[in-house]
Parts: sequence; structure tokens; C-alpha cells
Amino acid sequence: MLYVVLFFTFFSLFLYVLLGGADFGAGIVELFSSRENKELNKLTVYKVMGPVWEANHIWLIILIVILWIAFPAYFNIIIIYLHIPLTLVLLGITMRGVAFIFRHYDAVIDGTQVWYNRMFRISSLITPIFLGMSFGALVSGKIVVTDDYSNTTFAEIFMYPWLNTFTVLTGLFYAALCTFLASTLLIGETEGDIRKMYSRKSAIFTVVLVMVGGAVLFYGYWYDLVFVKEFLQNKISLIAIALSALLLIPLWFAIGKQKRVQTRIYAGLQILLVIFAAVHTHFPRLIITSTSEVNMLENTAPESVMYVLGISLIIGGGIILPGLFHLMKSFNMIRIPSRSGKHTAED
Amino acid sequence: MENLDYARLQMAFTLGFHIIFACIGMVMPFFMVVSHRKWLNTRKPIYLKLTKAWQRGVAIFFVTGAVSGTALSFELGMLWPEFMKHAGPVIGMPFSLEGAAFFVEAIALGFYLYGWKKLPETFHWITGIIVGISGVISGILVVSANAWMNSPTGFDVVDGAYVNIDPVKAFLNDAWFTQALHMTLAAFAATGFAVAGLHAIQILRNKRPDLHKAAFKIAIVFGAVAALLQPISGDLSAKDVAQRQPVKLAAMEAHYETQKGAPLYIGGIVDADNKTVSNKLEIPKALSFLAFGDFDAEVKGLNDFPEENLPPVPVVHYAFQTMVGIGSLLMLAALIYFISLKKKSWLNNKKYWWLFAILTPLGFVAVEAGWVVTEVGRQPWIVYNIMRTSEAVTPMPGLKFSFYLYVTVYAILAVMVTWLMHRQIKVLNNSIG
Ligand code: HDD
Ligand code: HEM
Ligand code: HEM
Repeated sequence: MLYVVLFFTFFSLFLYVLLGGADFGAGIVELFSSRENKELNKLTVYKVMGPVWEANHIWLIILIVILWIAFPAYFNIIIIYLHIPLTLVLLGITMRGVAFIFRHYDAVIDGTQVWYNRMFRISSLITPIFLGMSFGALVSGKIVVTDDYSNTTFAEIFMYPWLNTFTVLTGLFYAALCTFLASTLLIGETEGDIRKMYSRKSAIFTVVLVMVGGAVLFYGYWYDLVFVKEFLQNKISLIAIALSALLLIPLWFAIGKQKRVQTRIYAGLQILLVIFAAVHTHFPRLIITSTSEVNMLENTAPESVMYVLGISLIIGGGIILPGLFHLMKSFNMIRIPSRSGKHTAED
Repeated sequence: MENLDYARLQMAFTLGFHIIFACIGMVMPFFMVVSHRKWLNTRKPIYLKLTKAWQRGVAIFFVTGAVSGTALSFELGMLWPEFMKHAGPVIGMPFSLEGAAFFVEAIALGFYLYGWKKLPETFHWITGIIVGISGVISGILVVSANAWMNSPTGFDVVDGAYVNIDPVKAFLNDAWFTQALHMTLAAFAATGFAVAGLHAIQILRNKRPDLHKAAFKIAIVFGAVAALLQPISGDLSAKDVAQRQPVKLAAMEAHYETQKGAPLYIGGIVDADNKTVSNKLEIPKALSFLAFGDFDAEVKGLNDFPEENLPPVPVVHYAFQTMVGIGSLLMLAALIYFISLKKKSWLNNKKYWWLFAILTPLGFVAVEAGWVVTEVGRQPWIVYNIMRTSEAVTPMPGLKFSFYLYVTVYAILAVMVTWLMHRQIKVLNNSIG
């Protein structure tokens, strides 16, 4: 059952990074668009993401719930030492969620829309940055786990570990990833000029992504971060990253030809490979603190708990995944209609 | 105040915020599908209008509920890491099932909101029902996790570690049924009276009375039925508390001296220092009867428990009085509603609508008061008789700031949601047809 639970853990992580990421990215794309394109992007995003918007974010909840039930000791460290960035993530998720719904469900369309839009775009950028910083902090080797709070300052334990150059880079990396995902996804949803616009954006963000990714690795290597060092010495991880880089070539062509399904598959595969590469090197020691590496598989919940959790996940997955698939299909997220234009929940 | 106090305040504040949206998110979909059904059956445009207006409401409340719930699922760990470390695996089962229920709810809501004219009519309508049912199920599941904190079972404590965990037994703890029943009824009563009350106000203002009377009728039926059942279920809860948490019962009743044939106090000012209650109305032997079904049963008083295990008595007592007082009021109002089905002339009387208009917020006041009874009444324990709240709190200092941050953000949200609802009603009132 441990493996079932682990499977769902990484499955939720993957889907959250992918779907939640595309969702955040949609807001970032909007933030960096010209004035007319902003409005256009808003309508496209609403059409594409509207029905699944909420579902995309539940993967995060599933992930958290699995972590706390099955890996309590591990979760404990994350939740104590990343209190501040996670609070900021929550704040971002809150602002973003309500701004999204307000701007589409307010009965009156007037000047307040400007504020909803601003709130949506800015929180779309900030949230993934803090998420990426939290991920980065976990593997940075800077977290200080201690029982003795008298000899250290607040900042040493609760600020610096997640607020440093490396984590800022990982934060930017995740934000870039989100943007890349969103623009790739949106290529498929549009046509004509608009499609060209997203192809162009997609190309730009691919470049940005590769550059930021490179910066993360370079910085980590230069400053001897265990995680990055071992990553660079691990053949399989390197192969995975190389593959994911190679995938850029067909992706690039597919983007150029504005192929919908292919671009998505390549982009999805790339994310999978990046996560695999990152996790493979260090699994199961997925938290690296200043003094030790925390093994996720030590101090797991007892078998009876794993058993019930595993069964719940299998049954839940059995109900949810077909439903979700059907939802995406019904609203043409997987296959896209040839029309475009204004959509509201009313029609 | 210390860090611990801020953690408790923050937990109370965020939960108290979430519960309002959760209740509405659980119950509004039922109103919506009833109105939707009426539209499908009669094709009267007012029902379509109403369904669409309520659907917007559901969407707005759902998202506010969802984001505040997401915050809560992190917060449990962020504020009470020691609690989650030990209790997480034990109460994981309801939470993981709850995750599945949320998912079903979100998927069904996606279908419902975006399915107009795209899905077959009946299927579309059914997705609305699924939204409601999965909402209620998720409510029941979380409450059972809370019930476990009141009546922990399904594990043994050995050297501070929780072993021999039986998640199913922990889920089906002694308190889960009474608490879940009472909470579900509360959600229906509170939301039913709140929605009915808002429409009653519009009827009083004589804005689109046709529409608002249709809306009132749908909402009040749910609210009134629940309000009639509520005291019965509350009595079951009280008997249950008497068994499993005698201190809580004593605090609810501000009952200091152990006594056979104990009286019930109504109202009263509690003086916690001198352990007395003044200005109360006393009903002889009633407490013994309510708690144990026997007029002469012995009810343990607060003085018989060690001082360090007592909750803050006045808070619990006042909250309990508030809940029961409002419960009695709502029950009366429910009776009045049912009588008015026979006496149609009442509907032309302004006082009738005023009554429901005044009751609008009270159901939610009772919900909050009820939770204060349950949660504050459990203090100083986070897991009753097993772990103290002070042992569970995070070592991170400075919780003051996160508390103020949440208060600010949620206050802004509350204002915005109210304002949006106001705009919905205005648009509805100005609509034609
Ligand atoms: C509309 C809301 C509402 C109304 C009218 C009532 N209650 Fe209530 N009550 C709740 C809403 C609520 C609640 C918020 O839903 C609680 C908190 C925890 C729970 O499960 O339900 C609760 C808890 C609660 C508890 C504590 C359970 C525990 O700690 O485990 C008792 C003993 C009662 N109630 C009893 C009553 C009685 C005798 C009522 C008589 C009229 C009553 N309630 C009306
Ligand atoms: C008695 C207390 C509670 C009840 C009755 C309740 C009920 C609900 C309901 C019905 C929803 C669906 C949202 C909606 O339709 O508006 C919801 C959302 C949520 N609740 Fe609560 N809840 C309670 C407390 C909690 C607690 C303590 C947690 C955290 C551990 C929590 C976590 C969540 C989460 C994560 C969501 C979002 C799910 C989504 O995205 O749909 N809830 N809650
Ligand atoms: C949504 C309805 C709820 C409300 C309004 C509510 C209210 C409160 C209040 C007032 C406190 C502070 C008590 C004190 O410290 O004096 C509290 C504490 C707490 N509640 Fe609840 N509660 C709700 C549901 C739940 C649920 C469903 C859970 C868990 C599954 C839960 C878990 C906790 C925890 C862990 C604490 C902190 C520890 C403690 O003070 O005992 N609550 N809540």
C-alpha cells in the first residue's frame, strides 16, 4: 500500500504542477500582455479553464492531506519551517480565487473589474513564486531543524532558509514554468491571429524557462548545494533532463506549426521528466536540511493507516478521474471546437 | 497575549469564517435545484431567473468556501504541528474521503455552471443535485474528524506515540453521529432562514414580490423543517456530551456543585472567580432530566474537576444559552410558517415578513455559538484528555502577525462578498419578465 500512496502523492504533485501551474500561468501571461490582448486572454482563459478551474487546485489539497496522513514526521518539518512562505502562498491562492470568480460572476460589469483584474494578475504571479521558493527551500540544505530556539534568531530559522538567492531562483523557475505551460496550452484553444500570439509567447517563455532553469543549476553548482551537485552527478537524472531538453526541439516545431495535441503532450512530458529528474536523485530523502537529510519513508504512518488511505485513494481516484476526464472533454478542453469569441456562463 | 492565544484566536476566526461559506455551499445548491426543477416543470421564467441568480451565489460562496478551506487544511498543520503529527494519521480517513467529496463537488459544479444548453436537461439538473449531496457529505466527514477530538478512540498511546491505529474506529467515534446530524441540520436551518429572510426583506420593500415570494417559499421549507428537528437533535447531543465530556456539560450549564436532581439555569451571569451564577431563572431538576433522562440523576459539578482541566466557563455558558435561545426562536418561527400555510391571510400582514426579516442572521449566530460551545468547551484539551492545546502549538513566534493578516484579508473578503450579493439582488429586482 505504501507504493499506492506514494504513487498518488507524486501523481497529485505532477497534476498540481501541471494543471495548477497552467492556471497560474494564464494569469501571468495576462499580466505581460498588451492592453487589448489582456481582454482577449481573459476571455480565452475563462472559456478554457472555467469549468476545471476549481478542480485544478484540489490536487494541492489532496497532496497536503496525503502528506499529513501518511508521512506525518516529514510533513511536520515542511509545515513548521516553511510557515511564512506557505502563508503567503495561501494568501495568493485566496486573492486569486476570489478575483477570478468575482470578475466573472459579478452581476454588474463596471469599473471594479479593473481591480479584480489587477488582483487576479498580480496574485497569479506571486503565488507560484512563493510555491517555487518553498520547493527550493526544501532541497536547499538551508533549513535549520532545531529544538533550541534560544541560540538562534527568528530570521535564521524562519526567514533565511526560504529567502535566499537559490530559492528566489527556484521561485522564478516555477513561475516561468507556469507561464510556459499556459501559453503552450492556450495555443490549442485559439486560432488565427490570436493563436499566432500565443505561439509567439510560448516561444518566448520557453527561452525564459531554459535560462532560469540554467541559472538555478549554475548557482547550485557554483555554491555547492548538495541537491544540485548530486543531481548533476546522477546519470539518470541527467538523462531525464537531457531528454526534456531534447523534447524542446519537437516542441519548438510543434509550436511553430501550431499543433495542439502535440505541444501539450511534449509540454506534459517535459514536466514529468523534470519532476522525475529532481525526485530521482534524492528520493526518498526529499528534505535536505543544514545538518541532515530527512527520509520520507522513515516514520511513515502505520500499515493500518496506509491501507485505509490507499483504498480511499483508489476508490476516490476511480470516481474522480473519469469524472474529470469527462468534464474536460465535455467542455472541449481536450478537443477544441473551431469557434472562438465571447463566452459567459449564461450560454 | 501569548503566541498560543493568537494561534487559538486565528484558528477560531478562520474556522468561524469558513463555516459560514461551508454551510451556504452545502445548502444553497438544494435551493437552486428545486428552483431549477420548477423551471423545467412549469417553464415560468421567474424560476429560471431565480435559478441563475442562485447559481451565481453558489459560485461565489463556493469559491470563498474553497479558498478558506484550503487555507484551513494548511493551517491545522501550521498552527498545531504536534497535533497533526500525532493525530494526522488517526483522523486521516475522513479527511482523505473529504478530499474525494470535494473533488466530486467541484467536478459536478463545473458541469452545472457551464452546462446550460450544452448538456441534456435532466443530466444537467442531476449534476446540481450531486453538488449538494457531495457538499453535505464533505461536511459530515470533517465534523467526524472534529468529533474524534472530543471523543478520541481507535488508537493507544504508548510513550507519547499513537500506536495500534484503527482509522475506521477513529472515524466512527462516539460523537460523530450526533455531531454530524446536528451540524447538517444547523446548516439547513441557518441557510434556510438566512435566504428566506433576505427575500422577506425584498418583499417588504415591495421589489418584485412575485420573484421573492417564490424564492422565500423554497428556502423557508428547508429551514423550517430543519429548525423543528434541531432541538431534538440538540437534546441527543447534550445527552451525549453528558456521557463523554461531563466537564463540558457542567460548563455549558454553569453548574458548579455536584447535585442529584440538578436544576437547569436559564440566563444568569456567571462569576467565575466566586463560582456563582446570579440573576438566573431556575427550573428544578430539569438539568438532570435533560442530561440523563432521569429527574433525580446526579450531575457532576465543575468543583469536582481539577482546576487545570476547566474550560473558560462564562464563554461556554453564554454561547450555549445563545444557541438554545435562538434554536427555540427558530422553532417557533418554523411553526408560524407551517400555520401560515393554512391561514393565508397572514401573508398579507407586514408583521409576518418582518419576523422572517429579523431572523435573517440568527441561524448563523447560533452556528457560531454552537461551535464555541464545542471547541471552547473542550479546552484545555486539543484531543480530549490526551493532548493539551498548549502542547500542540507551533514553536514559531510572531503568530500575532499572521492573525492580523487573516483578520484583515477575511474582513475585506466578507465586505466584498456582501457587496456582490447586494449587486445580485439589485440586478434581480430591476430585471423584467
Ligand atoms: C442553527 C444552528 C443551531 C441551533 C438552532 C442549535 N444548535 Fe446546537 N450546535 C450547533 C448549531 C445549532 C452547531 C454549530 O452546529 C454545533 C457545534 C458542533 C456541532 O456539531 O454542532 C452545536 C453543538 C451543540 C452541542 C454540543 C455538542 C458537542 O460538543 O459535541 C449541544 C449539546 C447542542 N448543540 C445542543 C443544542 C440544543 C439543545 C439546541 C436547542 C434548541 C440547539 N443545540 C440548537
Ligand atoms: C464543521 C466544520 C466544517 C464544515 C461543515 C465544512 C464543510 C465544507 C464544505 C461543505 C465545503 C465545500 C465548499 C463549498 O461548497 O462552499 C468545504 C470546503 C473546504 N473545506 Fe471545509 N468544512 C469544515 C471545516 C473544515 C476544516 C477544519 C478544514 C481543514 C482541515 C476544511 C477544509 C476544507 C477545504 C480544503 C475545502 C475546499 C474544498 C474545495 O476546494 O472544494 N474544512 N468545507
Ligand atoms: C467550522 C466550524 C468550527 C468552528 C466555528 C470552530 C471554532 C473553534 C474555536 C472557537 C476554537 C478555539 C477554542 C479555544 O482555543 O478556546 C477552535 C479550535 C480548534 N478547532 Fe475548531 N471549530 C470548528 C470546526 C473544527 C473542525 C471541523 C476541526 C477539525 C477537524 C477543528 C479543529 C480545531 C483545532 C485543531 C483547534 C485548535 C486547538 C484547540 O483550541 O483545541 N475545528 N475551533
